[in-house]
Amino acid sequence: MRRRSFAALAATAVGAPAVGGVLAGCAPSPRPGSRAAGATLTVATTTDVVNFNPLVGNSRTDYWITDLMYPRLLTIDDAGNKQPWLAVKYGYHDPKTGYYRIRDDVRWSDGKPVTAADVAFTINAIKRDKPAGNTTFGQLTNVARASAASATEVLLHLSKPDQTVLREVGFWMNVVPAHVFGKVSNVATFANTGDWVGCGPYTLVSAAKGQAYTLERTEPYPWAPGGKPSLARVVFRVYPDINTEILALRSGEVDLIANTLPPAQVDVLRHTTGITVRKVPGLGYAHLAYNMKHKPLDKLAVRQALAHAVDYAAIRRVVLQGQAVSTHSSPIAPVLTAYADPSMAEYRHDPAHARRLLRQAGYRPDAHGRFPLSLRMIYSLQDAVTAQWASMVASDAAKAGITITLQGMDRNTYLAKTDAGDYDIYAGNFAIMDDPVTNMALTYLPGGAINYSKVDDPALSKLITDAQVATPDEQRELVAKAAHLVRDNVYDNVVYMQNFYVAHRTEWTGFVAKPSELLTVVDPASLARVRTRS
Amino acid sequence: MTAQARTDAPAVLEPVAVAESSARRTWRAFRRNPLGLPAVVVVAVLILVGLCAPLIAAEPTGYGPDVLQAPSAAHWFGTDNLGRDIFAEVVWGTRASMLVAVCSSALAIALGVLVAVVGAYFRRLDTAVGTLVDLMLSLPVLPLMILIAALAGPSLPVTVAVIAAFSWPEVTRVVRSAALSVVGLPYMDAARVIGGSHRWIIRKHLLPATAPVIVVSVVLTASRAVLSAAGLAFLGLSDAQSWSWGRILYEAQQSGAMSSAWWTTLFPSLAILALVVSATLMSIAYNDARNPRNQGR
Repeated sequence: MRRRSFAALAATAVGAPAVGGVLAGCAPSPRPGSRAAGATLTVATTTDVVNFNPLVGNSRTDYWITDLMYPRLLTIDDAGNKQPWLAVKYGYHDPKTGYYRIRDDVRWSDGKPVTAADVAFTINAIKRDKPAGNTTFGQLTNVARASAASATEVLLHLSKPDQTVLREVGFWMNVVPAHVFGKVSNVATFANTGDWVGCGPYTLVSAAKGQAYTLERTEPYPWAPGGKPSLARVVFRVYPDINTEILALRSGEVDLIANTLPPAQVDVLRHTTGITVRKVPGLGYAHLAYNMKHKPLDKLAVRQALAHAVDYAAIRRVVLQGQAVSTHSSPIAPVLTAYADPSMAEYRHDPAHARRLLRQAGYRPDAHGRFPLSLRMIYSLQDAVTAQWASMVASDAAKAGITITLQGMDRNTYLAKTDAGDYDIYAGNFAIMDDPVTNMALTYLPGGAINYSKVDDPALSKLITDAQVATPDEQRELVAKAAHLVRDNVYDNVVYMQNFYVAHRTEWTGFVAKPSELLTVVDPASLARVRTRS
Repeated sequence: MTAQARTDAPAVLEPVAVAESSARRTWRAFRRNPLGLPAVVVVAVLILVGLCAPLIAAEPTGYGPDVLQAPSAAHWFGTDNLGRDIFAEVVWGTRASMLVAVCSSALAIALGVLVAVVGAYFRRLDTAVGTLVDLMLSLPVLPLMILIAALAGPSLPVTVAVIAAFSWPEVTRVVRSAALSVVGLPYMDAARVIGGSHRWIIRKHLLPATAPVIVVSVVLTASRAVLSAAGLAFLGLSDAQSWSWGRILYEAQQSGAMSSAWWTTLFPSLAILALVVSATLMSIAYNDARNPRNQGR
């Protein structure tokens, strides 16, 4: 039996010296939440929990809170590499049988052990019930079923070889307790609104919609120093928007803002006494997708003209305040050093060249220099940064004689229009593009879940599908070729990769910044070790 | 006796002379009101700014190098999160806000007055009109406005239509009340007796009698329309292609600059305040001036 493993052989418990609880007298603030062993961290968020079931697609607050209760098999480092978490090892027994070997010292909050049966149950439940918006479901396409070979080994039986499934499922899937979720006939409709059973570092004990969500420490938690999460409680408090969150942080009403800061506020808060700003590396990108099913965006020259009209450097300088980097018009973020090709060049901002391309494509400008080219661009109003650069893109396009009508809309309408392909240009961003092969399959294969450009290029599809079953070295080569195809044909126009910043009260320390705005410093690995300065 | 008095020639001529002197008396009383003329001046200035926006400041587009700069000689109202001049945004926002005010109130007044006079004149329809108005007034206006604007997609025509659609019942209620008190008066009976058509009676007698109420409604509806438009824009439901005071506030809120850059919200808020307060004061002054007890003073 062939055994292949792409992960580290053993997980290490969180390595820093155990700090333990913080003594009562050490807390610099007189606030009740800052007491020693009973320390409470108050976290500001802007959205309520929509549902408490981690298997159902959810809002950002849902994600942050359920992530503190239900473990992942793998976590991620700054370069997008998967690292052991609940799974200490993973690999393939043979091309069609994958496995995870999990820790044997993890317990749910009701005392029952976390076993391979829980993992197998979670995978099979997702396959069976297809929970709405579940990211893992799409990644399980080649998984026929999962089974528990022992208390610590899970087997994934594949319908065909797939070299990416273990990494992706391991990172994206939260494991749920089979003895709780297995009581319902359909996990997709399970609200999970009370009597929560999690495995920590914290588990929900109360939820008041529009006000606060309180989680309490769960022990033992093997990833925390000494097996004991440093806080007694974590309280997520709901605020209307980032402005009120910032005011609450300044006044000491909250200790941490979970949402990443608007770029223009980073420097302001950096110079505010009592507040510490911390960088969170990005792992996703912001992009423009040109709907190739809509004429004339099926013409390469038109897409190239649009790409050359955008002033990428200005967007990064003005909107992102220099907090973003270029991906060189590649869909592979530069932090993914194993895959990124530094020789690729970003589309040059050149309105005159854009005009030339349009003329070559047969377009003639009117007396005002405007081409008969009017396009609709959609974006979500809830995504403030995208809304800002979208207006810059429209202004830049106007200079090249292209009319772009901005259609900012609420998130649900935006998602509905995206699903229906009802747009000429899509402006948005992906939070985490951690695995190039999987992400390219979703983004550029016909029928891909996030194929917003409606790309259908047989040459590109072949590269991606070949990469899905190739060895890691072969994958790197195939991905590089695919990235060049994407860039040269403007199948996607990546504007930047943003690094994020979060702010907390200076009296708190121990935060671990995990990549992307999805994980940030509210990741379990971080909140399990946060404490007040002694 | 009554019929004879109604057909008496001098009695028919008398109202013309009375109307002329009444207008003069109203204007005199309006001028004497310390709030009236200043309010008119503020509204006139705002209208002028709206009309002459391209002559006052270049349309704010794209971005600028000075992000979130406080008010200075170079940028009187400071700059926003994309380095655009907020003075220019307020000036161009005046144009869009005035347009929404004029168009929304015109639509709302046209519909509201039509429903009101029809209901008051044709008494059989009055119960239905009253019920419809009560029903409309009981609706949660803001959530419905948000819903419709979100479904239809934010644009200037949608904003105007949505605001007008929810503003006319207020106009109808006020105008209908005035019209009901007029339709029962003897001169309306006389108009019917001499064979005047319904349309002629409504146009020549009923509408002029309710004109003062309509004038007040126009001003108040326009100012409420500006507030509603600003509210919708603050929620992101405005035309992204044109500037409005609400959009300036919305962008300030979205950028998270409200807590550190006071100028991003102060100046558009002052513009909204100036328009709404002056329009309200203007209508109060006009209403007071129309009051015969004030005209004699």
